[in-house]
Amino acid sequence: MDSTMVTSSSSWGQALLRISPYTFSAIGIAISIGVSVLGAAWGIYITGSSLIGAAIKAPRITSKNLIRCYLSPLTVFAVIKLWAVAATFVIFCEAVAIYGVIVAIILQTKLDSVPKSKMYDPESMRAGYAIFASGIIVGFANLVCGLCVGIIGSSCALSDAQNSTLFVKILVIEIFGSALGLFGVIVGIIMSAQATWPTK
Amino acid sequence: MEVMSKFLIASAFMWTVPIAVLYGFNHNFFPGSASLSQEALTLWSGILAVISVNVVIVLYIISAMKEPPLEKHEPDPRFVADAKASIKQQLGPTEVDPSSDRAKQE
Repeated sequence: MDSTMVTSSSSWGQALLRISPYTFSAIGIAISIGVSVLGAAWGIYITGSSLIGAAIKAPRITSKNLIRCYLSPLTVFAVIKLWAVAATFVIFCEAVAIYGVIVAIILQTKLDSVPKSKMYDPESMRAGYAIFASGIIVGFANLVCGLCVGIIGSSCALSDAQNSTLFVKILVIEIFGSALGLFGVIVGIIMSAQATWPTK
Repeated sequence: MEVMSKFLIASAFMWTVPIAVLYGFNHNFFPGSASLSQEALTLWSGILAVISVNVVIVLYIISAMKEPPLEKHEPDPRFVADAKASIKQQLGPTEVDPSSDRAKQE
């Protein structure tokens, strides 16, 4: 941005600069938990719906599944035994949600109050942007990770019904899929570690 | 139901352990956490929390793999009996009395 834009009082650059860093931080925290949970829920319902559908058709699966769902008691009683594949997929999707919670807790501990005179210091703007970026990183990485694990889980449900020996191969693919969320969390944590507000 | 309880316990641990790690670092339950700078505190607490979640997942997968393999699916015995009876009914007359079939009855 050239300097003329900064001095003019009604430019877009000036408008962006006048947004409080606390706004950016709050939006970052909200996105980190909100969008990660969106990804986790999406993954769980994709896996869950194909598991339940397969359970109706194939009695072997019915006696083997454990599904984390809050459905009618009939369906819940139909799934009474552990099926390692189904449960691990649900647990992987849940881990995605928990990464979002962890980062949200870390980010909200990074929020400090600064006096009003220092609110638009470069240092505090940097902190606000760092928290915002960290939240976006974690949120969207977990969103796609949850989707990925969910779609893998739904195909795995159907293929494992046919051939139980495929489980280990599918687990390997699933671990690579959940590594995506892990990358996002690591980068988000490192990003947020440098969010220091100016001291009073 | 022991299976469902294992799942619920794993889920509960997956939620509580990382949050406990985070609060332990922030409120100085761990011995060295008071002396860390803010930045190092964030890094260590975050990475340990993520590692603890993964440890819980790995333990759960190990305990799931150790379960005894499931018994074969038992078809409904009455259905099997009916099916066998119907097959026997089809094949039975031809096997037992082959000669009688050859005599045509008009």
